[in-house]
Amino acid sequence: MNEHIVRSYEDELNQLAAEVVRMGGLAEAQVGDSIQAFARRDVPLAQAMIGRDVKLDAMEADIERAAIRMIALRQPMANDLRRTMSAMKIAMNLERCGDLAKNIGKRTLILAEAEPAGPVTRSIERMGRLVASRLKEVIDAYTASEVERAVSVWVRDTEVDEHYESLFRELLTYMMGDPRTITAGAHLLFVAKNLERIGDHATNIAEIVHFEITGQEIVSERPKLDTLTP
Amino acid sequence: MPSQSEARLDRYTVLAGVAGAAAPLVLAGLGQAQTLPALLFSAGVAGAAVMLARRPRAPSPALAAHPSGPPPSTPPPFSGVLDELEDPVMVIEAGGPGEPAGHRLVFANAPARSLFRVQRQDARLITVIRNPQVIELVDEALIGGIAGHVAFEPAGAHDRVWTATARPLARQEARPALALLVLRDQTDLRRAERMRADFLANASHELRTPLASLTGFIETLRGPARDDTEARDRFLGIMQVQAERMARLIDDLMSLSRIELNEHIAPQGRVDLALAVTDVADAMTPVLRDKAVRVDWTAPAPGAAIVEGDRDQIIQVIQNLIDNGVKYSPRGGVIRVEILAPVAGDPPPVRDPEAAGLALLTPEHRPGELYALLRISDSGPGMPRDALPRLTERFYRVEGQKSGDRSGTGLGLAIVKHIVNRHRGGVSVESIEGRGATFSIWLPLAAGVRQARPEGVTEVS
Repeated sequence: MNEHIVRSYEDELNQLAAEVVRMGGLAEAQVGDSIQAFARRDVPLAQAMIGRDVKLDAMEADIERAAIRMIALRQPMANDLRRTMSAMKIAMNLERCGDLAKNIGKRTLILAEAEPAGPVTRSIERMGRLVASRLKEVIDAYTASEVERAVSVWVRDTEVDEHYESLFRELLTYMMGDPRTITAGAHLLFVAKNLERIGDHATNIAEIVHFEITGQEIVSERPKLDTLTP
Repeated sequence: MPSQSEARLDRYTVLAGVAGAAAPLVLAGLGQAQTLPALLFSAGVAGAAVMLARRPRAPSPALAAHPSGPPPSTPPPFSGVLDELEDPVMVIEAGGPGEPAGHRLVFANAPARSLFRVQRQDARLITVIRNPQVIELVDEALIGGIAGHVAFEPAGAHDRVWTATARPLARQEARPALALLVLRDQTDLRRAERMRADFLANASHELRTPLASLTGFIETLRGPARDDTEARDRFLGIMQVQAERMARLIDDLMSLSRIELNEHIAPQGRVDLALAVTDVADAMTPVLRDKAVRVDWTAPAPGAAIVEGDRDQIIQVIQNLIDNGVKYSPRGGVIRVEILAPVAGDPPPVRDPEAAGLALLTPEHRPGELYALLRISDSGPGMPRDALPRLTERFYRVEGQKSGDRSGTGLGLAIVKHIVNRHRGGVSVESIEGRGATFSIWLPLAAGVRQARPEGVTEVS
């Protein structure tokens, strides 16, 4: 990459990317905490992580402001424009991940009052760990500017879908078996859905990282699992 | 960014400070049998003290002579000593106030560099660790001058637990503040605790069933069936089967616990997958003959599929997988074993468009890493798509599975997954209900093998 003549311009771009990584760290922690609070029925942890969500919102606003300032004052071109735009877009996706994690936290508070759901909880936890590892991988890819790594996250999106699909059926069986579990079951279903959407955001980020580095969109059609429709 | 020569000028004092500040931390670790690093560290402290004492009298001409000279390529003094430590140690320089993402590394020792894959010595801290608690901790040490520590768990396949300790280093005028960050691996401690709890929960639940059956038969034998010789023989037979099942369960639980305890420690040694498969097949001959099941296998030339691994554990993986195949194969069935090397680290694509496939474990992406793939297929009843994500769950059984005896413990695949995870490999499954299942595992090739065969990666079809 050619060096910028004005040193502080390059620095500013790097600083913007570093802020996105910091936000990524926070989003990762939020997602991780929400899964842990859910799996262990840990009410104080859930409350603490719900409270931390405002930080993510503030960081997103900061990054957006910095990016707009950058575009206005520096008029970045080509590669630099992609870097600026992707910082903004990734921040948006991370903020959504945070919201979904917060929602899991809120449902954890409700679920903590109900009977433990047993094996389903473990299945959701396993799915959560998979999603968390996707998010980690994609932020690692962004940090190290590794296209290959971003693509590998993008390609493996169906694994999360498989887990969601399996959970969906498991939960239906569980709710049909005992109608008293429907309230809890509905919340569990949303927890799983939220995780699945966090996985989607990780995939989005992978696409953004790919575009930022190569300037091209990922072209090949990804196998999409859609067995919900019979 | 300060100029490089300035940074160099300060390296001596920095390192001396590092040694001084870290010494108590390291000495505290003496109880954990880290005598060698601690001794080295003491040497470092002494050396640093000498440097410090000499500095005011005779400032080194080399340091003073290059006001805007070339960036230093030589490592700072005593870095070798710090590299010998087991704990990751980093020195961090403050960025602007209110900009935690601006803090940069001034120094990272060898464990820190390899653990966090530090690309450049002056990398931003955020690109190395992005856990918000650690970032806050370092920020407080740099800006507020407050020492502190936190426990944190970086997300990842290997569930590690660290405590991070940050303390401010002596500040010099007109230079950004510096802080020391030392990490200590607490995985073993935490894991041992968790294992005990898990073991008790699992064992008490799963052992209760055979135990209840044993107690029931004992009661019957002492009561109504006291003089019935025929019933007694039959009951004693059942009791023996149940007792054996309990013994197997305990063996598997113990072995799972042991594997999990070491899961974060990469295995030492090299194993030829082809030889390991031969050994397992030989050892299983009686079982195979009993069920008239044949094992067909294809492998590359000897020496091509040597992986980094613990021989006993690899054998256990192959044994568990072939064992499953035998269990679910019909009489006279065929189990196909294939070894392919070298392959890339992604899960092998599903071969049959009708089959459901899922990666149960994928290794962390490492650029350029090559793997050996072992694929074991049976012609049994297979599994429905919904069951796939739960396969490695402990004690999970596919519902409605009629064939296959119940002699298994439900821990076989969990053991496979944990062993392969320890080996930084992957596991995947594909299955068509009614037509069989295929399990694939892939493990990193050993170092020498990778260099010897650079000519291309086998396309998995």
